[in-house]
Amino acid sequence: MTTLLPKSRIRPIAVGGSKLARPVAWGLIGLLILVTLVAVFAKVLAPDNPIQPVGEPNLPPLAAGHLLGTDQIGRDLLSRTLIGVQASWLSALAVVAGGLLVGGIVGLIAGATGGWVDTVLMRVTDLFLALPGALVAIAIVAALGSGLTNTLIGVSIVWWPYYARILRGEVKALAARPHVEAARLSGVSRTRLLTRHLLPGVVPTAIVTASLDIGNVVLLLAALSFLGLGQQAPAPELGADTARTLSQLLSQWWVPGVPGLAVLVLSLIANLGGDAVRNLLPVRR
Amino acid sequence: MTTPAAVASITDFSLSLVRNGTRSSVLNRVSFDIRAGEILGLVGESGSGKSVLALSLLGLLPPTSHPQAVGSVTVSGVDMLRADQAELRRVRRDVLGAIFQDPMTSLNPTMRIGRQIGEVTHDDAESVRLLETVGVRDAALRLRVYPHELSGGLRQRVMAAIAVAGRPGLIVADEPTTALDVTVQAQLLDLLRELRADFGCSVLLITHDLGVADQIADRLAVLHHGELVELGPAADVVRHPQHDYTTSLLAARLTLGMERDGRFAGGEKISGATDVGPAVRITGLRRTFAVRRGRAFGSTRRRGRGNDAQEIAAVDGVDLTIAPGEALAIVGESGSGKTTLLRIVAGLEQPTSGSVTLAGSGGPQMVFQDAGSSLTPWLSVGETLGERLLRQDLSKSEIGQRVIAALAAVDLPPEVARARPGELSGGQRQRVALARATMIPPAVLLCDEPTSALDASLAKNMLALIRDLRARLGMTVLFVTHDLAVARLMGDRIAVMRAGRVVEVGPAEQVVSSPREPYTKALLAAVPEIVEDAAS
Repeated sequence: MTTLLPKSRIRPIAVGGSKLARPVAWGLIGLLILVTLVAVFAKVLAPDNPIQPVGEPNLPPLAAGHLLGTDQIGRDLLSRTLIGVQASWLSALAVVAGGLLVGGIVGLIAGATGGWVDTVLMRVTDLFLALPGALVAIAIVAALGSGLTNTLIGVSIVWWPYYARILRGEVKALAARPHVEAARLSGVSRTRLLTRHLLPGVVPTAIVTASLDIGNVVLLLAALSFLGLGQQAPAPELGADTARTLSQLLSQWWVPGVPGLAVLVLSLIANLGGDAVRNLLPVRR
Repeated sequence: MTTPAAVASITDFSLSLVRNGTRSSVLNRVSFDIRAGEILGLVGESGSGKSVLALSLLGLLPPTSHPQAVGSVTVSGVDMLRADQAELRRVRRDVLGAIFQDPMTSLNPTMRIGRQIGEVTHDDAESVRLLETVGVRDAALRLRVYPHELSGGLRQRVMAAIAVAGRPGLIVADEPTTALDVTVQAQLLDLLRELRADFGCSVLLITHDLGVADQIADRLAVLHHGELVELGPAADVVRHPQHDYTTSLLAARLTLGMERDGRFAGGEKISGATDVGPAVRITGLRRTFAVRRGRAFGSTRRRGRGNDAQEIAAVDGVDLTIAPGEALAIVGESGSGKTTLLRIVAGLEQPTSGSVTLAGSGGPQMVFQDAGSSLTPWLSVGETLGERLLRQDLSKSEIGQRVIAALAAVDLPPEVARARPGELSGGQRQRVALARATMIPPAVLLCDEPTSALDASLAKNMLALIRDLRARLGMTVLFVTHDLAVARLMGDRIAVMRAGRVVEVGPAEQVVSSPREPYTKALLAAVPEIVEDAAS
């Protein structure tokens, strides 16, 4: 006869131990992929032209032909949101990927080389970190003129230093481990040491940090366009659309509500997806 | 059925745990009592379930591994498998004390020693008395220090003080001496014996070393794959083992009496030869580290705001020469500088002054203490080994063949090439590391305690393999170990290091049988040897 030990003592501490953890995590990652696909094919999926009025103004959601209703001048909200998601999501991916690339290279070189190279690269990184990110982005956009491309440039410039810092620390910790010393003794080249013995070890951290960051970038882009610094009207932008119609919140809640909720859902999916990636990655020892 | 004299009894205890997603049986129908006032030694190799048994006694089985148990584990009448948390806490507080293997991780690094003992005693005077009992000098002052400011031996004494603070009926000590040097180990074993005499408590001493168990235990229990294979008075179990497994454990012990390898009998003569230049020449080697002396212990200087850096010499003027084909074993306790010396010879660290010259081709190659961390976890064994051949202009298939040949040289099948280090056992990983170091014959093979993380039988095989390769390739070997028995087996000569200096060098047999230096004698005396019956 086998006695299961009392319930209180076998309850898993973290969700990571539960049987549902893996399918749930895969589901969330599937959601990440789904959002990306929706963003890529937004033009195909959008039922109407997002810029032209196509119906009565201020139709509520579930109105005939307009699933999410229409805005103050009768544009289809579903179409505007889809195109807005495309701009925000793909921009966020681009900023994170760009930041990861630049920050990753800087961090990898700094961490693996050490010495004065490390010092110089990190002081430059510190310089960027010392400036308040959102303000610098605003300043850059203001200097370059508003528009999506310039906003992306502005946000990218303030974004990479975080990755450089994090990855440099990871590489430094990894470089002190015996397997790196053993590889050096084996006579492998510097490049190979970097790409085969160090880089794969920091990939998990990089992926997790980056996926958790997508949500932050979506929010920052929305905030910037809320301030009038992103995508210019009449092109749909989630943040700008919310800002412009905020006065309707009490009378027609869906007009600012739908793009606003889209931002919420995007950053939620990005954050949960990031957590899922972290939970699924094998724990490195 | 519990005899009244038993502090704890384990009855028909089977246990299974979930590890990496699969449930496996860890203990199988284990029964024994721990009597009042006795020291019971629990011996077994890694994976035998001995640590899990200790956790069961403490009621600390990790809930994440979903333990399923049959039978009972009772400590002073309380069922440690099924009692509620409040009851478990009461038993742990009133009846149990624990000493774990690594005192650095089992003491709280953010709390002063005084507070950690105070959690049990609630009284500084009592804490001081306890620290004095466990042989900590200047106990009143030590209450103010943090664990990292103490040596390993002292930390383990503090653990012992905490363990006995609650006047426990039973101390569970899980490999308490494994992380310690032999001389410190001897002191700690004495301490356990004294604690038993002073407090009348029982001790469950878990160890993989029959020599240690023989020195201190009254009775011995031998655990093998979760089954209790032998239980009896320690002297009987060690000298007249009934079970084959106990016999094999005894046979696998690395002892000072082991037969040395006949192939290298001429080795001691080689060392005197001068007609060939030395393979390794180390001259006046020093390596110093700048250390900031905080409020470290024993410092009488007041700490100023100024620069209080001090130099500590890890290697303090070492001269050694090793002849081609010779094996030199360096013995020393932790902190003696032996590993630093080896790392300088490997070129992994730069000396502060002095020089190392290597003759011959192939450069230095090293086998690290922990094979697991010396192999890149995400590369397959084949890729890792193949890396050594990248400099040579070889085709893919030639590299493949060389890799398979290298694996065969360390008795590993070709399939291992496709495996990642995580899929291999500790012994296999160390073989892979050895294959990597020797697939191109090195100028000198540097071994940094390559067997200290392995079970005795595996260690013995590994040592034999290194000797085979040495004989086949005529390699020069520099072998660092803390174990004199291993040094005697592996080295033609032994160099004894202490505090960064070589205090004695000589032919291996001579150093072991008639040591010159008092320090060497002390090291030898502390080795837990099993002495045969006085009659025999």
